[in-house]
Amino acid sequence: MANSTKLKSDALLELMKQHLTTDAGKQITKKIGLVYQINIAPKKIGFDEVTYVVDLKKGEVTKGSYEGGKPDATFSFKDDDFIKIATGKMNPQLAFMRGAMKVKGSLSAAQKFTPDIFPKPSKM
Amino acid sequence: MRELVTGGAACAVPGSSSSSSNPLGALANAIIGSSSKTQERLQEIPTSTAAPSGSHFYSETNDHLSALPGSEFGNSLLQPHAQGSDFLSGFRSANQNGFADAWDEIQHQNQIPPHFDQFHGPRPAALPQPTLDGPPQRVLSSFLHSFVGSSHGSIPFRPTSLPLLGLSEGDKQCIRDRSSIMARHFFADKSEDFINAQVNALLSSLEIDSDARVKGPLPGRFQELEDYWNESQGMVRPGAPAVDGWITEYSQHRAAHGDPDAWAHSFEQQHGANGWASEFEKEQSQLTSIDQMRGVNIPNLEAMEQTRMLAHTLAQNNDPKFQNSKFLQFVSKMSRGELIIDDNQVKPAASGDWAAEYQQQYTGGPSWADEFAHNQLSHGPEQWVNEFSTEREQHGSVDDQWVNEFSKLHVDDWAEEFGQQVGENSADNWANAYDEFMNEQVAAKQRLDASRGVYVFSDMNPYVGWRLLGIAHAENDDDQQAIAAMMRAQEADPANLEVLLSLGVSHTNELEQAAALKYLYGWLRNHPKYGTLATPELSESLYYADVSRLFIEASQMFPEDADVHIVLGVLYNLSREYDKAIESFQTALKLRPHDYSLWNKLGATQANSVQSADAILAYQQALDLKPNYVRAWANMGISYANQGMYEESIRYYVRALAMNPKADNAWQYLRISLSSASRNDMLEACDSRNLDVLQKEFPL
Repeated sequence: MANSTKLKSDALLELMKQHLTTDAGKQITKKIGLVYQINIAPKKIGFDEVTYVVDLKKGEVTKGSYEGGKPDATFSFKDDDFIKIATGKMNPQLAFMRGAMKVKGSLSAAQKFTPDIFPKPSKM
Repeated sequence: MRELVTGGAACAVPGSSSSSSNPLGALANAIIGSSSKTQERLQEIPTSTAAPSGSHFYSETNDHLSALPGSEFGNSLLQPHAQGSDFLSGFRSANQNGFADAWDEIQHQNQIPPHFDQFHGPRPAALPQPTLDGPPQRVLSSFLHSFVGSSHGSIPFRPTSLPLLGLSEGDKQCIRDRSSIMARHFFADKSEDFINAQVNALLSSLEIDSDARVKGPLPGRFQELEDYWNESQGMVRPGAPAVDGWITEYSQHRAAHGDPDAWAHSFEQQHGANGWASEFEKEQSQLTSIDQMRGVNIPNLEAMEQTRMLAHTLAQNNDPKFQNSKFLQFVSKMSRGELIIDDNQVKPAASGDWAAEYQQQYTGGPSWADEFAHNQLSHGPEQWVNEFSTEREQHGSVDDQWVNEFSKLHVDDWAEEFGQQVGENSADNWANAYDEFMNEQVAAKQRLDASRGVYVFSDMNPYVGWRLLGIAHAENDDDQQAIAAMMRAQEADPANLEVLLSLGVSHTNELEQAAALKYLYGWLRNHPKYGTLATPELSESLYYADVSRLFIEASQMFPEDADVHIVLGVLYNLSREYDKAIESFQTALKLRPHDYSLWNKLGATQANSVQSADAILAYQQALDLKPNYVRAWANMGISYANQGMYEESIRYYVRALAMNPKADNAWQYLRISLSSASRNDMLEACDSRNLDVLQKEFPL
């Protein structure tokens, strides 16, 4: 496919990227002020991961590892689980306890990673 | 009578695929179902007039067949039926009829074909025939076998009833392999069937019910009835897929228990269904006269079929709420009972030789038959005959009225029940979809009437129901369920453009790009105008660029066709080229300005490309056209939330949820909005899904 890959999360992070340019997005940036790195695996955590950086200091979403130092927290998800968490279907704490989400870095930073920082996709 | 019966079919709901094909069977169900039920219950009600026969029946059979499920099951049925006593009192008066039918059926099944003619004589002559083989349950099962066999071979049922009685497992396998639409329906659910074995025990039983009893009225002594029956043979035969479907489930069931004891299963299943039917009938216990009862029975059984079909979809729903629902509790209660009995029965029966047992039972039969005949005679068969004929006439004359009553019953009671027990839609919304469906069905009925006796299967085609259900799900903001329903529709009609587009849209919404692309390409390939553009080799490996190129070509071929612009818009959503998508939808809207779903598509696309303010205008258009469009209300909420206007978003989510409390996405989004709006005080109401509190707090 031309400009889309197989991950569902791509669509969501693309939306996030655009969302951060809006007023509502800017408020999130102001509120959180942290840098998250997100590793998304199509099937199994740790395999074929695609890395995104959600920079809530600058209000950017970029593909690839963070280059400005160390992210405040790094998350690893399966594609489906990331969608579930971002759309509120799955509680991040629960996901963490179930092993559906792996966290590295500051736990207090990780706790600010909640569904409400993500924009919701609209349905046709 | 046939009109009545076809009327019943015409009013059938999505589940009609299985039941509509044998509407006469539905009537038979009503009659025979009541009889066996009555027998069961009479055993437990000493005051009942027919109690002696009932208890005799069971003591006899128990002597000969200690392993027979009848007696045990009768006991197990006691609790569920104990509370239905006022229903029973209505039925007690009917039991002669019921017995008579059951008796006839028994007679018929065990009669070698040449002898059958005897049964067309006056009823009293038939009664003393000492040919009873045993409990009707067993007979029903063998009967069912033969019916399957006959419908499979497309040969008249009667002559083959006995020869094919001992269908082997291999035969069943064969039938299963050849089974068509219905069977495929079941296959689609197969894994779920195993997962939800308890649910399916009941579901399959419903299936059996209708099929097993199709022949109920067959042995009727009335020549007219016989004629009707012969005519209806043609209608029964299209039901073969349903039967095959049953066989599929049945073999599964069998495999699960490793027991070749056919009759035990069918017995349980039959009674499981009766139990259900009685539950349902209790709700309508105000209708106590026989005629009414029978009239109502048909919708009941229809409803059972429909519920079963729908429950197949729902079986895929692992939602805990559904698992906890009243309906499922009841279903699992029933099926648990069956399973226990099944286990009890399995072991002794498996070790014994079926044929030997059968023979044993056969020899024991006549005494029972005498009892029965005596009992029957003492209750005055003449009276029964009269009653039956007047009833039939009444049914014939009040056909329309009955149909009206039937449809009312369905739309109100059934849809409501569906909504609360099973439904993922609000009852109202579902009822709307159902109304629409009913209209189509009424049209179908008119056609059916016009072509007397010719069964128009395509009009009854289940895909219509599945498609409408799928649309209802999509409009109610539940893409997973919409996909499930549309998949069924697509199985029945793989080339339906509307279904393919819906599947493409729903998969796009679920961000499943490969699947979405497949269905959108399928749309192009099956389109009468654009099909030529599609090249077969492309269907093997779909690339977005190729598909979109084809659609651009198509849109240039017929720029006035709104459909192709819609699909193109969906495709651009898939590739997140939202500007192009918006352009496509706007083009389509110029051609079709009153398409509410198109307005919503435009709005969703605008929202996803961070033009939430524009999106809200588009949603407003959609809602002006269709005020109960749950998806648009929910999308409104999303757009407000994405703009940081959480308080507003809450109101829209609550509004959407008021219309469809099963919209899980909206609940999740509502929760996020509540916490974002620092309304943690309302989180509890959200978590407990207390809409009253939320609606009061956030009126729109």
